[in-house]
Amino acid sequence: MNKYRVSADIGGTFTDVVAINQETGRIAVGKASTTPRDLTQGILAGLSRVVENPETIDFLVHGTTQGLNAFLERRGEKVLLLASEGAGDVYYIARGDRRDLYQLHYRKPEPLVRRRDIVEIRERLNAQGGIRIALDEAGVRIAARRVREEGFGAVAIAFLFSYVNPVHELRAAEILQDELGEHFPVTLSHQIANEWREYERTSSSVIDAYIAPSVQRYLNRLTAELHRQNVVAPLHIMQSNGGIISAAAATNSSLQTLLSGPVGGTMGGVSLARDNGLQNLICIDMGGTSFDVSLVMNQSPDIETETYLEGFPILLPVVKIHTVGAGGGSVAYEEAGGLRVGPRSAGAEPGPACYARGGLEPTVTDANLLLGRIDPDWFAGGTLSLDRNLASQAMEGLGHQLGLDTMQLAEGIGRIVNTKMAQAIRAITVEKGIEPRDYALLAYGGAGPMHACFLAEELGIARVIVPKNPGAFSAWGMLQTDMRQDFAQAFYTPLDRANPMEMADLLETMAREGSAAVAAQGATTQAISHRFSTDMRYRGQEYTLTIAIESLDEITRTDFKEVLVNRFHRAHLARFGHNNPGAPTELVALRVAAIGEVGRIPPAYESEAEGQGEIEYRDMTFNQKTLSGRVIRRAYLRSDTRISGPALVLEDTATTVIPPGWELRLDQLGAMDITRL
Amino acid sequence: MATKSENRIDPITTEVVRSLLNAAADEMNVTLIRSAYTPVIYEMKDCAVAILDADHRVFGQSSGLPIFLGNLEEVVDVTENFYGKDCWKPGDIWILNDPYLAGTHLHDMSVYGPVFVQDQLVGFATCRAHWLDVGAKDAGSPTDSTDVFQEGLRLGPTKVIEGSVERPDMVDVLTRNGRFSYPAHGDLYAQIACVRNGQARLEEIVRRFGKETVEAARDEIFNQTERMERAAVKALPDGIFQAEGCIDNDGVNKNPVWVRVKVVIDGDRMRIDLTDTDDMAGGPVNCGAPQAVSAARVAYKLLISPELPVDGGAFRPLTVDVRPGSLLAAEEPAPCEWYFTPLGLLIDLVVTALADVVPDRAAGAHYGDSMVIGIEGVDPRSGEPFLLYEPTVGGWGGWRGHDGQDALINNVNGALKDVPIEVEEARYAVYVHRYGIRQDSGGPGQWRGGTGVERVYELETDKAKLTLWFERAETPAWGLFGGQSGMAPEVIVNEGTTHERRMLKVSGYPIQRGDIVTTRTGGGGGYGNPRDRNPEAVRTDIADGYVSKAHAQESYGYHAH
Repeated sequence: MNKYRVSADIGGTFTDVVAINQETGRIAVGKASTTPRDLTQGILAGLSRVVENPETIDFLVHGTTQGLNAFLERRGEKVLLLASEGAGDVYYIARGDRRDLYQLHYRKPEPLVRRRDIVEIRERLNAQGGIRIALDEAGVRIAARRVREEGFGAVAIAFLFSYVNPVHELRAAEILQDELGEHFPVTLSHQIANEWREYERTSSSVIDAYIAPSVQRYLNRLTAELHRQNVVAPLHIMQSNGGIISAAAATNSSLQTLLSGPVGGTMGGVSLARDNGLQNLICIDMGGTSFDVSLVMNQSPDIETETYLEGFPILLPVVKIHTVGAGGGSVAYEEAGGLRVGPRSAGAEPGPACYARGGLEPTVTDANLLLGRIDPDWFAGGTLSLDRNLASQAMEGLGHQLGLDTMQLAEGIGRIVNTKMAQAIRAITVEKGIEPRDYALLAYGGAGPMHACFLAEELGIARVIVPKNPGAFSAWGMLQTDMRQDFAQAFYTPLDRANPMEMADLLETMAREGSAAVAAQGATTQAISHRFSTDMRYRGQEYTLTIAIESLDEITRTDFKEVLVNRFHRAHLARFGHNNPGAPTELVALRVAAIGEVGRIPPAYESEAEGQGEIEYRDMTFNQKTLSGRVIRRAYLRSDTRISGPALVLEDTATTVIPPGWELRLDQLGAMDITRL
Repeated sequence: MATKSENRIDPITTEVVRSLLNAAADEMNVTLIRSAYTPVIYEMKDCAVAILDADHRVFGQSSGLPIFLGNLEEVVDVTENFYGKDCWKPGDIWILNDPYLAGTHLHDMSVYGPVFVQDQLVGFATCRAHWLDVGAKDAGSPTDSTDVFQEGLRLGPTKVIEGSVERPDMVDVLTRNGRFSYPAHGDLYAQIACVRNGQARLEEIVRRFGKETVEAARDEIFNQTERMERAAVKALPDGIFQAEGCIDNDGVNKNPVWVRVKVVIDGDRMRIDLTDTDDMAGGPVNCGAPQAVSAARVAYKLLISPELPVDGGAFRPLTVDVRPGSLLAAEEPAPCEWYFTPLGLLIDLVVTALADVVPDRAAGAHYGDSMVIGIEGVDPRSGEPFLLYEPTVGGWGGWRGHDGQDALINNVNGALKDVPIEVEEARYAVYVHRYGIRQDSGGPGQWRGGTGVERVYELETDKAKLTLWFERAETPAWGLFGGQSGMAPEVIVNEGTTHERRMLKVSGYPIQRGDIVTTRTGGGGGYGNPRDRNPEAVRTDIADGYVSKAHAQESYGYHAH
């Protein structure tokens, strides 16, 4: 009996399911409507479309938006926050910065906990972790009573310096569980983020407490439902750090699931880079309202240790995804005699004019339609047919105002939106000290492949890759990842005074903890490995760079500090364009990632349809010239196919545009490799 | 209302060029922030960049600090005034920090260079960033300097790169004159990298589109911005609107220093007249004319064009008048270290003057200044010297429909964050007893002013020196339309003991182990009569501890049941 590895990725509109046959490597893709009230129903419906017998599922990965939705819609738990005496307002002060400089009516993010629901507990540690004021245990019991009487569903504890010494947080949790039962959800800040900066740690802990009960209920329900459907494979959950963990472990670290949604695509990019021997990719995922950009550098995802969500800082290793407000729904309009495109979007309702749902303003999708870059009868997998006349009418009014004819305006809208997206990509790469020319562009999502070659031209990139099933690429990517758990420990010391033995001990302890955690989720000992690193900076700096430590053995070598500092100087030069050899450096944190390899199915490719399909040509407009371009279904592409632009490649979930001057061929795994001639 | 005669270029190319110029400025800013060495630049974003055309008009700009808005063109003007229009040579990069020429203080280094395409001057790339130390009489920022020569190294327009080659002698001068040479090197190279990035991007754009097309696009872009701003000003009623206020003192003399604002709206033009402001002060609160103009532009932008781009067409409806020799157009040898103190006040005053004109866009005054505390000593844990130096957040004014924000950084700053207690206690020999909301400090109003904060430090080393710059006790943040003032700031050493001392500005005041320094910042001004406040909102304020029951009764007439 053939066994399958299966993933399910929940999006706003659709739940994508991908199944890989473990013996043949063949891939099946299914789609079901997302069911916002109970996400499990969409998953089960999707599963049934790709796998006949649920018992043949051998491995199951799931990327959930449950926690994110609870946060975004403010449907999370009522949280009581315990803070150190004298520091209860840290969460409200929120470090006091303004992110919008010219706004007299600036507003901080709306806190998730009311000020009256923050309880200061008499206790205090000093910066070295020594006890300055002992924990007021009676105060904790009084707080527990409040939890019972006022119906709080979760407690977050964030005491000062708990990252140096967790004793008070642990004892307070013990008391709460004694009072409230051992299953009562309590989030401890040192377990969420074992790093300094109390506001950032508190904010992370509050979000965890706020979403955890909802995520736990959801995972329990899904697990039970899968059992009922005879799915025996253990469920794994995609995490924000690009790795997976077992559903059981995820119930204890809900925060890790928060930003997992778009991460699958980047991890798919990592896998694709390894299979193709590419080092670096710029990954773009374009939908109706937004455009996500992420990077694969040296075949690894770009992982940051801190991120922001609606203004709240979160200390959490995340695969960095940049979102830009540009998409198919971006609206074109006149302002003071000039032409503007976006960031305002027509969204799905009314949507672009060509959707015939009452939208009157021209959008990027309308422009693409008029330019012949979309098949009007096969949009969104044939679920919607587009009205060219309505698109044209919407263009006419604006064109008249600006003195442009319809096709000039349509192409202009495309040029402007492509310029903006390309500049957004540039800004991201410049920040990382990267030259986009050295990268290939990987495009997926519904609209990504339609714009990719134009963005590449703007950025001087010569190679565009469109993977198989670009619409379900994120789900596919989830099947290419390993188990991963991250551990961090604050370690603040000048490098010249750091004790290597102490570093090695701390890293080893975290590694053991990591091995145990990953093994508990089913990884075999030989499949477990560790990545060690340390956060470093020049003395006086605030930002750090995460510098790899190759092994624990490396630390015991006599030249370790020299090796490490040189690695830091080089990384600083690469990232910031200069460095300061000789300047004093300091360490801020130690990190361990425990990786449990789950093994990958060797990819296979064979073309899906016989023959070459109908030869069809259509009008397409590039640079104000209307040309006759080839239109081909992707299923008919062969390993020896070469197609020069202008051409369109159609498939269920996406359309790829090959402009003049670009040539398409397939790589050995079936991805479209489009290069500039 | 497009004027046909100017449309020499199609709107698509114009918009593409506009996007590229704005992106180029953003990219310069990213380059500077990511490669700067000191937190003042990359964490607090005390920097700005601009790309200018050959006539010094702004193609695109990006700012980290609100008051660095649109005055980088001054440094290019000044350089031509000194050395003539022929002074620009390919590959050269210049540096300047003279406060009377550039407008701010000696800490702010402007670095800039010309852009040439085919031997033709097509524009400039410029940036400005705050250096940690420029060799003033005291480390950091002296609070009691009486002339500019006590404030550090002063540079007129000076070449630091000549024909793409670094001048080692100039780099040596620049880095030898401060207390920290590593950061000075790092920040100098970051600024040079930023200028080179801007030069390359502008060159690329001009090569791609051609000089004429870029110039035609520029004219159209400027006209678009000007049209939008003129329409916004024209929508306001004509009239003359005034406001005045004072800072407590200049740090050296005791008397208050007055800033007087007169705003004249006439059709689609606005004039901000600052000429009635006091003469230059003896202490370091003086400001060079270019920076005063810039602050007036910030106020204008807050009320007129918060969403609009800043380019060469921006601020065309606005003129700003300053009087040479006054506080806001300082001349040699006036000390300028705390030039921004009157500017925070100036912005509040312009908003107040125009409150009747734009009641929906106005807000009560904010707590006013950076409220800086410095503690200098030796950390007994390491035996090494430390310098704690931090601004403090406070309350902002309420506005129609919403209470003011609590605990927010002041209006001349932006991205500046407070120092976490965990970082502070690890780095400096202090213990923080409390950092929290200051109850009852928000100005009462139908929409309450935001609250200030209280931060209580205990010294944990034998002796240290305390420096303070706290302001706006004479004119605490006032309210609008019947809203009342927020509480004034206060700093108390050993509060409630027999040796209690109150002070707001002090330099090098000796403190000892166990001394407790309590700082309290002011609240923001209220908006509307507090008696009209929704009783439910007062009840919530009491429950959340922003307002005490006594204060609720006294200021809002609220009786708890």
